Amino acid sequence: MYYKIVILICKFVYKFMKLLGKNGGTLPGNIALRLNKNILKHFNITGNVIAVTGTNGKTSTTNLISNILSNSGSVVSNREGNNINTGITSLLVKNCDLSGNIKCDYLVLECDEHYIPVVFKDLKLDSFVVLNFFRDQLDRTGEVETLIQKIDKFLEGYTGNLILNSDDPNVSRLGFNKSKCKVYYYGVEKFSGATSSMRDRGEGKYCPFCSARLEYDYYQYSHVGKFHCPNCDFGKNNIDSIVSGIDLKKGKFEYNNKTFETRYNTIYNMYNVSAAFMLSSIYDISMDYLYESVKGFELNNGRLESVVINDCPTVLNLVKNPTGANVTINYMNQDDEHKEMMFVLNDKIADGKDVSWIWDINFSILNNVDRIITSGTRAYDMAVRIKNSGYDVKKIEVYQSIDEAVNNLYKNNGKKYVIFNYTATTDTRRAVLNYKGDKNGL
Amino acid sequence: MVYKILYLYPDLLDLYGDSGNIEVLKYRLQKRGIECQVDTYSILEDKPNFSDYNLIFMGGGADREQSILSEDLVKYKEDIISAIDKGVFVLLICGGFQLFGKYYKDADGQVIDGLGIFDYYTVSGGKRNRNIGNIIIESQIDGEPYKVIGFENHGGITYDISNSFGKILYKNPNNTYDFEGFMLDNVIGTYLHGPLLSKNPALADYIIKIGLKCKNKKEIELEPLDDELENKCRDVLITQFL
Ligand SMILES: [Zn+2]
Repeated sequence: MYYKIVILICKFVYKFMKLLGKNGGTLPGNIALRLNKNILKHFNITGNVIAVTGTNGKTSTTNLISNILSNSGSVVSNREGNNINTGITSLLVKNCDLSGNIKCDYLVLECDEHYIPVVFKDLKLDSFVVLNFFRDQLDRTGEVETLIQKIDKFLEGYTGNLILNSDDPNVSRLGFNKSKCKVYYYGVEKFSGATSSMRDRGEGKYCPFCSARLEYDYYQYSHVGKFHCPNCDFGKNNIDSIVSGIDLKKGKFEYNNKTFETRYNTIYNMYNVSAAFMLSSIYDISMDYLYESVKGFELNNGRLESVVINDCPTVLNLVKNPTGANVTINYMNQDDEHKEMMFVLNDKIADGKDVSWIWDINFSILNNVDRIITSGTRAYDMAVRIKNSGYDVKKIEVYQSIDEAVNNLYKNNGKKYVIFNYTATTDTRRAVLNYKGDKNGL
Repeated sequence: MVYKILYLYPDLLDLYGDSGNIEVLKYRLQKRGIECQVDTYSILEDKPNFSDYNLIFMGGGADREQSILSEDLVKYKEDIISAIDKGVFVLLICGGFQLFGKYYKDADGQVIDGLGIFDYYTVSGGKRNRNIGNIIIESQIDGEPYKVIGFENHGGITYDISNSFGKILYKNPNNTYDFEGFMLDNVIGTYLHGPLLSKNPALADYIIKIGLKCKNKKEIELEPLDDELENKCRDVLITQFL
């Protein structure tokens, strides 16, 4: 169907849904793509198009980049993370005029790593930020290697800026021997939690170019760290952006000789910051804007969200894969206070039906965790996993119902860490945030 | 008493939480006061003494990694056969299972040679045709019927299996076969992840028992453990799927 008519129809759908009090989500984009599968070709974006992809940290990096860039121009972005072709098309339909023109200085798109070739085959791309590649819901998406090759193939014809994590071999390899595009590497200086051997499981132990075993000076987390190939030039990059002097407990780091204050408190957030700063330097954004954006940044929506429930300080965090879970546990271990933990594990389609990834989470190192409650459709799988790591089975409680789990969590006083996977997010947050408690009765 | 495990290529074959099998065995041994020693072997390392172990374990990996190591593993074919003859338990998951057979034919029709220790062979079901989903099979463990619960995720289908690991009771409806895996008294080859031993404590204990018998030349009675969580986990899944 002629694209202008498609845009018109989808704008009506969007307005209609708004009248119904719904935000529309991916429906307008879904319809647009059904009516004209090449619809993305017809959007004309006046400003720079920036895409952010990777397994972990897409939403928070996209938000940070949007916050920074909004100081120097108008930004359109899919901040809520509707990050596949339908969600991105919805965003464009919503923001274009009737001829498909989008007038903004920056279009910042979070894009699912598997949809990069689909979306950007038809949409222009000026800067492409790649964060990391880990195992994520493998039963749904296939192997990491297949994914990397798919993106590598997409990059063969790419001529824009390519912003790569120098410390993740899975990402860094995308820049090797690329002559058409401009490659930038970002990194993070060794932090106090770095280790000499891999603490958690990771990918990419062999050089993709010569198959030699990669050597690491240190690991920051999972397989991310200072590596090089002993046999060829892989891993010997010039770093263009580096975050250094990291003190996660105090919330401080340095960049270009300036000290920054931040609420970001994990090492992988530091990589996201470095990625965002690398991008900002390409667009000549002033250091003051970087400083303010990082300082004022609040995480919410279950991403390291801090609340007080029933007088108990509670940290809520969404984890989707072992790497995210291990970073969260390491974060929790920095806290020496006595605490209780709750882990909600579902196995719905959006989570990946295979829950074996929980066996790649390292529970053998918990610091002052007095009790663990498990819940969700796979509550018992979680309990069995924690038990086999050596944690005292008498301190594990299982409640398949989330409300029962939360009621029991707040029976005791003290600090709580609540971790959940994707489809458990809404129910867990609702149950925790609405918990009324029994304090009044006492 | 020590239970010695040889974990082959843990750096290459560690998909889908398969190393959790080692954690389960370690836990169940230590609860009974039996020391568990885990040695690893990978490419370019010193040759291990295969017959010296109670258990040889191998997991699954990505195709690229599997082809790197198949050339390495074939050097030890005679040593592995001799270890199996001596009664060492061999547990092979997914890629490991395939590599012990005659060959693997990939999606492009290319043949990767296996060790040929067993007669079965594997053919890829095509690039878009993976067998993925929860699975329950009925197996014979220690002479008793036992439901083995796991999760399968593999592109290849293995044919010409003389003794299957079990009859399939529940699977993804797309899967066309009725029997799963390969089993001898002291060998199990299977596509079940989960990890396999996490939801099947009787199977874990069987592997411990046979492995101990081989080195101690007599049956070792294993103290029962508190498996309340494992059994509840099994109940939930069996009720849900069967
Ligand atoms: Zn190399």
